[in-house]
Amino acid sequence: MTTPIATAPARNSLDPRRAGFGRTLAAAIVTLVLLGPIIVVFWLALRPRLYTDITGPTLETFGYIFANTDILLWLKNSAMVSALATIVSVIVAAPAGYVLSRGRGGAVSVYSLFIFVVQSFPVVVFVIPLFIMFAAVGLVDSLGGVAIIYVASSIAVACWMMSAYFDTIPVTLEEAAWIDGCSVFGGFVRIVLRNSLPGVLSTAIYAFLLAWNDYLVALVFLRSDDRFTLPIGLQTFFQQNQTDWGPVMACAVVMLAPPVVIFAFLNRFFSIGGIGGSLAGR
Amino acid sequence: MNESNARRSGMNRRAFLASTAAAATAMTVGQKAAFGAEEIKFWDMVWGTGATYTAAAKELVGSYQPSGDNLGVRYQSIPWANWYQTFTSAAASRTTPAVSSGAAFLPFYFIEQGVIAPADDVVAGFDKSGTNDFLPGVLDAMKTDKGYAAMPWSMDLRVIWVRKSLLEKAGVEAPTDWQSFIKVGEALKKIDVVGLGLADGSTTTDGQHSVSALMINNGGGLFATDGTLDCVTDRNIETLDFLNELVRKGIIDPYAASYTSDNVTRDWLSGRVGMGFGQTGLDKNFPADQRSDLTVISPIKSTRGDKGTVYYINPLMMFKTTASQPSSEAFLTWYLDNMKVFWEKGVAIDVPVRKSIAELPNLKQNANLQKSIAEWQPVGKTIGAQAPRPFGALNAVDGGGAGAAFIQQIIEGKTASKQILETLQTALEKVVK
Amino acid sequence: MQATGTLADRQSRRPAEARRRRPDLGRAMTLAGLAMPAIVLMTVVNAYPVVYAGIQALHDGDLLNLGSFVGLANFRDALTDPLFWWSARFTVIFSLCGVFGSWLVGFALALLLKPEFPGKSSFKILLLLPWIVPIVVSSMSWNWLTATPTSLLPVLAQDLGFGRVMFLADPTMAMITVCLFKIRISYPFMMMMMSAALEGIEPNLYEAARVDGANSRQQLRYIVLPMTARSTYIAWILMAMFSVNDFATIYLLTGGGPVDSTTSLIVLAYRSVFQDFRPGYGVAISFLMTGALVTLSIILFRQIRRANIA
Repeated sequence: MTTPIATAPARNSLDPRRAGFGRTLAAAIVTLVLLGPIIVVFWLALRPRLYTDITGPTLETFGYIFANTDILLWLKNSAMVSALATIVSVIVAAPAGYVLSRGRGGAVSVYSLFIFVVQSFPVVVFVIPLFIMFAAVGLVDSLGGVAIIYVASSIAVACWMMSAYFDTIPVTLEEAAWIDGCSVFGGFVRIVLRNSLPGVLSTAIYAFLLAWNDYLVALVFLRSDDRFTLPIGLQTFFQQNQTDWGPVMACAVVMLAPPVVIFAFLNRFFSIGGIGGSLAGR
Repeated sequence: MNESNARRSGMNRRAFLASTAAAATAMTVGQKAAFGAEEIKFWDMVWGTGATYTAAAKELVGSYQPSGDNLGVRYQSIPWANWYQTFTSAAASRTTPAVSSGAAFLPFYFIEQGVIAPADDVVAGFDKSGTNDFLPGVLDAMKTDKGYAAMPWSMDLRVIWVRKSLLEKAGVEAPTDWQSFIKVGEALKKIDVVGLGLADGSTTTDGQHSVSALMINNGGGLFATDGTLDCVTDRNIETLDFLNELVRKGIIDPYAASYTSDNVTRDWLSGRVGMGFGQTGLDKNFPADQRSDLTVISPIKSTRGDKGTVYYINPLMMFKTTASQPSSEAFLTWYLDNMKVFWEKGVAIDVPVRKSIAELPNLKQNANLQKSIAEWQPVGKTIGAQAPRPFGALNAVDGGGAGAAFIQQIIEGKTASKQILETLQTALEKVVK
Repeated sequence: MQATGTLADRQSRRPAEARRRRPDLGRAMTLAGLAMPAIVLMTVVNAYPVVYAGIQALHDGDLLNLGSFVGLANFRDALTDPLFWWSARFTVIFSLCGVFGSWLVGFALALLLKPEFPGKSSFKILLLLPWIVPIVVSSMSWNWLTATPTSLLPVLAQDLGFGRVMFLADPTMAMITVCLFKIRISYPFMMMMMSAALEGIEPNLYEAARVDGANSRQQLRYIVLPMTARSTYIAWILMAMFSVNDFATIYLLTGGGPVDSTTSLIVLAYRSVFQDFRPGYGVAISFLMTGALVTLSIILFRQIRRANIA
């Protein structure tokens, strides 16, 4: 331990309290490199459409997609599906996560394993039997049916996220409530859930992103053009041979906006780091 | 259900109808919905020029007035992405529409599976009314043991296009055979232009079309005349040797191994590609003032002196899931009789398969299209060449992973022709049973 | 950001005996009831497809007909097919890159973004963008950047004297490109996991270490890494799962080519089912893949649990 100790300059320290503009610069450079391909999206969105007389960057494509395509309808469908999937995900995952967090014993271990195995099955390969099953009960070509699949595919990680957050809430709080005559369920709702807004928001954002960005499930399950979601709507710009990049990328920018706005507002709540505890704690 | 209800409450209904016109309308709408079959569904792929094609097709179908008891039709556009998933999942769950366009070999697969109804009655209808003016061979190409698998509506014919200005710049004339093709390619290479533009990323079949065209050009193909798989033949080896020479001389761009159709179209536009196979409407991708720079050349002779190319016949099939087979047939006949607007408006980029459409004034003036129909179509074959009949497994040959890897191996230029063909044969044996 | 406390915190807050004290039936029933919706949903959505797929795997049918029973022939075919083993190999490479590559980038960024500095919160959001952008869009922009000789990156590579770099058309380069692409869309997940884990470390620990004379590298080695070990392992396992099952990333970028170089097991399974019309074979591949994945993960879980609790 004869290293030049005290001379360690502040900016190299891992101490969270000291850093300055040098770090801002470093972060800016890294961000620029990593975001390069996204900048491309914005750049292409400003390109004029094929066969128009406009040269140079233009916002005309945005006007075009709003005036000439069903983008508002797709936006509405996407928003509805994602909202539905998000709400149901949270409603189902919160109690399930509570069980993972507070439950002990063999049954809970099996439950935990079950969630894990189910999560590992690739939806892509099983999509045909899923489709047949949904067709039998009339859930094909319906936004509700698609939402159910999104919930099912986000539920495992959502459970873990909820349970991780619940782990941070002291059991003593519930115990006090139980002594006051509160039921286990009452304790869960009134004590645990009420104090878990950040956990709920994190889970909600995860479920939302999964639903909002999905492309494969929607492509197979949605047929009627009045039920298209944004990623499928995007497909209608792809022609047999040539893609009109301007409108596609303009659509992509529109598609990008809601999640970015949500992140910007809710970012400080969104933490999935806690997943670790609940998984390995079993 | 609804009707019996109505009958039981006959008095009420009459009184109700008499009351207001608005209520009457509401009633009829309700009744139709209850029968659930006032319309049959028509699925249509995004053909031709894309969005403008779909708009035209939607408008056309919207103008359809069913005669007699026939049902109306609802148009649904289907994206090309993952089309096999769309169709197979629908077929497996019996949610297919009444009528649909689709990929070239889908009807053969579906008729083998008993999912679609043969179109024999529709063909007979055309014969009866004396309007059977389908180009020679195209109806026959739809024939199977179980009848006509589908009705042809257009033909994706692959012809060789050149950019005149680039050839001039390189100081060469259009090629007439494989030897001169290499000469022209080398000249183009000198001015940094690709001599055989193709797209062979794993999610496109464009490159496979070009190579199939050249294999047929040399009298080869993937199948023997008895219909068995037969990739490793002398003619095919010669074709691959020819391609290998193109690769070695830089006439084929190594980047093509990952190209999408969009990538190669852009290269055509930017003047990086000077020659290559394309659909007969390739020029439609160009701005109007540059279209005249593109020309279809005459079919070129292979080393053996043969001519040929590949084509895909775009089908319209009738699914058994229809609410009324006569309605499906009536619509299909009407659609085939009225689809000339696609060519009048210029939104179709494939060859029409009916003489009455091919002779439209604006198509008559299109020298490239006329040349394609006159010179290329007669020497064309499907990728089922040299098999006598099309069959369902051609789907897997057309869109499968084996085909893409096959072309990519050719472009890579590291493997002997015979070995590449042997790999293909082994891979295809698994999918063609 | 009080979302996660430290591990020590968490354990102290839920003393084990508190739970052991009440094994009463009512509580067990309530917990079972709370778990039920998730169990029902997962069973309903997965049971039929998995059973159906299991039956398909034992038959030689196509997508519309089951075909005849062939026993384990599909599994045997898979295990004797060189392409299967190639794909398995690429799956491993791809997943290792996905896991460790994105972890390295994500962890480094988490460390970079830990202290307060001007603009920190904006960077935090901006750096999450690659994860938020739909994969359809990302793959399009990568294609635009790399596909043709006149695209931006090949031109740049040429100008920098690397010659003709074929990012997607050369089999080896395509593998590298796909892996880099994966790292780029995955690091934000790691960054968030690791940021949260770093939040859990008491600032006093750094202080104490500095007083003891530890430089930053030593702080990293003896404080940060051990304290975040648990989150790290879990992040690795989750990312491995996400990577093995990641179909869209590879398929949208290269489709598995050129010459099958970037074909992973999930892409091979998909192609067998939907392009070659051999669902039995494709499903067999995905079962082999899922089986291996689950087994491996369970072994790793056991290890972590033992390491942590002991």
